[in-house]
Amino acid sequence: MYNSLDIAVSGMVAQRTRLNTIAANLANQNTILDASGNPNPYQRRFTVFAPGDGNGGSGVHVQSIEINDAPPKLRWEPNSPFARPEGSPDAGYVYYPDIDPVTEQIDALEAQRAYEANVQAAEAAKSMMAQALSILA
Amino acid sequence: MNDPLGLINSGGFSPLDPLRGDRPSRPQGPGQTEGPGFADVLRENLAQVNKLQQDATTAIEDLQTGKRDDLETVLAATAKADNAFRMLLQVRNKVMDAYDEIKQIRV
Repeated sequence: MYNSLDIAVSGMVAQRTRLNTIAANLANQNTILDASGNPNPYQRRFTVFAPGDGNGGSGVHVQSIEINDAPPKLRWEPNSPFARPEGSPDAGYVYYPDIDPVTEQIDALEAQRAYEANVQAAEAAKSMMAQALSILA
Repeated sequence: MNDPLGLINSGGFSPLDPLRGDRPSRPQGPGQTEGPGFADVLRENLAQVNKLQQDATTAIEDLQTGKRDDLETVLAATAKADNAFRMLLQVRNKVMDAYDEIKQIRV
């Protein structure tokens, strides 16, 4: 009976997870260190969706959050303490994440619109249940 | 019939023929009732509505105390409990209407 509501909610949860990933990408677009402080640029994350709610029901769920292992962008900053050391082929360059903020913002917009669509579907499901009730009343 | 999502007739009844399907058989006559009576069904539904409301309350409490952060699921649980309670209320109103109707009968 609450199938359509559950499906819409699963879509909302999935899109929110996707927006979290996009927000992390945007926040880390200039991150050149890893969590322990070593020079290791942040790599773009992206969510992969799969149908079903993960336990046999219908809907959508986040199958995994993958790491995009594209090569980092090189920026010439020879005075940076995190520049590539002398002797390496790209000495004097600093590795930056290969994250395009424009792409991320478009993705965020898309996730927001998809979330809105799921909210509309949930509203429709609620309104249909209320209208069915009005037969009895 | 192609039904990849398993959604067609998932309610167990044919929508055009509500009398067919997996339901308790009709009582044969006075005193010979088979299957659960109306009071049993009502009590069962009451328990289900109660459970939905308790689930919603727990979900809201967990949300407010920070144990969970999935707002959508909590709101959906609230909507379900609300709808189930409205349904139960309508059934109760129908029963009370029938009772009033019977009360009006002159003996």
